[in-house]
Amino acid sequence: MSEAVQSPTSTARPIVGRPMIALEGVSKTYPKQTRPAVAELNLEVPEGAIVMLIGPSGCGKTTTLKMMNRLIEPTTGRILLDGEDVTDVNADQLRRRIGYVIQQVGLFPHLTVADNVAVVPRMLGWNKNRINRRVDELLHLVGLEPADFRDRYPRQLSGGQQQRVGVARGLAADPSVMLMDEPFGAIDPITRERLQDEFLDVQRQIAKTICFVTHDLSEAVKLGDRIAVLATGGRLAQYDTPSEILAHPADDFVAEFVGGGAAVRRLSLLEISRLELEEVVISSDGTPAGSHPVLAVDGAGRPVAWHHVPGSAQPPPLVTVPLSGTVYDAVDVMLDARASAVVVVDDGGQPRGALRWDALVADLRIKEPSR
Amino acid sequence: MGSFLQYLSENSTQLIFYAQQHFLLVLYSVAIATTISMTLALLLHTNQLTPPSWRRSIRVGSQETSLLLASAALTIPSLALFGLLQPLLGLGVTPSIVALTLYAIYPVLRNTVAGLSSVDPAVLEAARGVGMGPVRRMVRVQLPLAWPVVLSGIRVAVLIVISIAVVAALINGPGFGKPLQDGLARLGAVNSFNEVIVGTLGCLVVAAGYEIIFFIAQRLTTPRGLRV
Repeated sequence: MSEAVQSPTSTARPIVGRPMIALEGVSKTYPKQTRPAVAELNLEVPEGAIVMLIGPSGCGKTTTLKMMNRLIEPTTGRILLDGEDVTDVNADQLRRRIGYVIQQVGLFPHLTVADNVAVVPRMLGWNKNRINRRVDELLHLVGLEPADFRDRYPRQLSGGQQQRVGVARGLAADPSVMLMDEPFGAIDPITRERLQDEFLDVQRQIAKTICFVTHDLSEAVKLGDRIAVLATGGRLAQYDTPSEILAHPADDFVAEFVGGGAAVRRLSLLEISRLELEEVVISSDGTPAGSHPVLAVDGAGRPVAWHHVPGSAQPPPLVTVPLSGTVYDAVDVMLDARASAVVVVDDGGQPRGALRWDALVADLRIKEPSR
Repeated sequence: MGSFLQYLSENSTQLIFYAQQHFLLVLYSVAIATTISMTLALLLHTNQLTPPSWRRSIRVGSQETSLLLASAALTIPSLALFGLLQPLLGLGVTPSIVALTLYAIYPVLRNTVAGLSSVDPAVLEAARGVGMGPVRRMVRVQLPLAWPVVLSGIRVAVLIVISIAVVAALINGPGFGKPLQDGLARLGAVNSFNEVIVGTLGCLVVAAGYEIIFFIAQRLTTPRGLRV
């Protein structure tokens, strides 16, 4: 739970980086087709940001991604990588500088995990010690113990483990840009959640510029600093932060794509630490104290039960949510326990305030951003 | 039975010589056929290894044509082929190797093509995505993954050629064809039946030798990741 809530949003982590990848009027028309797969696309990916490309199938999101490392050559337009036109460099050299992770993983089945990760460093001519150190470091980073996994073969790994190796392989030569084509698409939902959380953790350490193709809106909202919604025919319908896209879809297409549940999804972007919380009164004997909820605490100051919650005759069961959580988590625990209020606690378990169902539905008071 | 064993011991030097001849005849022809087939299959498999002017249709067309020709060669009756090559190449070892090579091309070519096509496209896309060039992709990824299939093609070629090789005796070629045909020609005479049996069993012995070699080769050359 606590990983899910640390998801960076554009508000939590402002992005002011210079554009690392820039697409300028890029179009792609496949041979023997009249309609372009991607039409006149302009897109800037800021340095250190995760940009999610999302859209219905056939909207050209994978084509767009593959044009960035020239697996597909654009028909017209320019693609700049860190200011340099990608068509000016040898395509193979270019790809060794860009991490690439695909849905089907595509590990080399005849090579060990370590050799798979070491593919790009070997081509770049690194020496053996440096490669070995790098492989161990990366396997650690993606949560695979090197001693256990170095010498295994891809067939001996689960789908989730294979994709971890895939990510490690993409990161091997420390590229500044990673391109990821639905990397978690073929993985079961529970493992996918875990991988997404770990992916965000890893990204916090490595701060790569990442372009990520997905067709899953929840994934886009959870992982993205920005979301580019592509419409059929490769038209960029909207390019904005997740909360903006959920709150203010640019047109009918985006509105329909975002669909129902946008308000609920937005809750997961709203961190409790940004809310004005309702004050709670701490009392040992349970005397009602005006309009504030009254809470009983133990010797260490941790909440044990409600004495009184205004508006309910019987005090509801006590549930807590960490201050680092999102409103989505608060709603989740309240629904789960059928409680009309939740205590927000800090890392030490001390109550910091309360959030009540009525207030949640009526209006949430958001603090002025303190960044 | 006793007379057969006596025949064996009396002619052991000659028989070992036949075995060596037969073994090498098969080895040379299959080796040449493998070189030809693999070169052809590798070049025609991807357009990255052929000149850019060769469009896909030409490439695939020539691949299909060579498969067709190779399979046609396999259907030529062996008696006829050895006879047909005689005016061109004369008698002895050279025409024998040429004829057997023609027979061995098809299984190797067919399996190499099939093996290369069986490699998971996702693996090849990943290879391209990490910046492997066409040659590296073929040598480091595609061929190692196709290798078990290629190897079984070579094995089939060897088995086919071992039995066809006896016909080489028609044009004075080497190997167990000699005792077999001598025996058949004078059937009923002294030792003639023993010669026929020796020719037949000799082929089996050579085949058994090759099977052992292939078993070892398969263990040694199949990448471990494909065996686990």
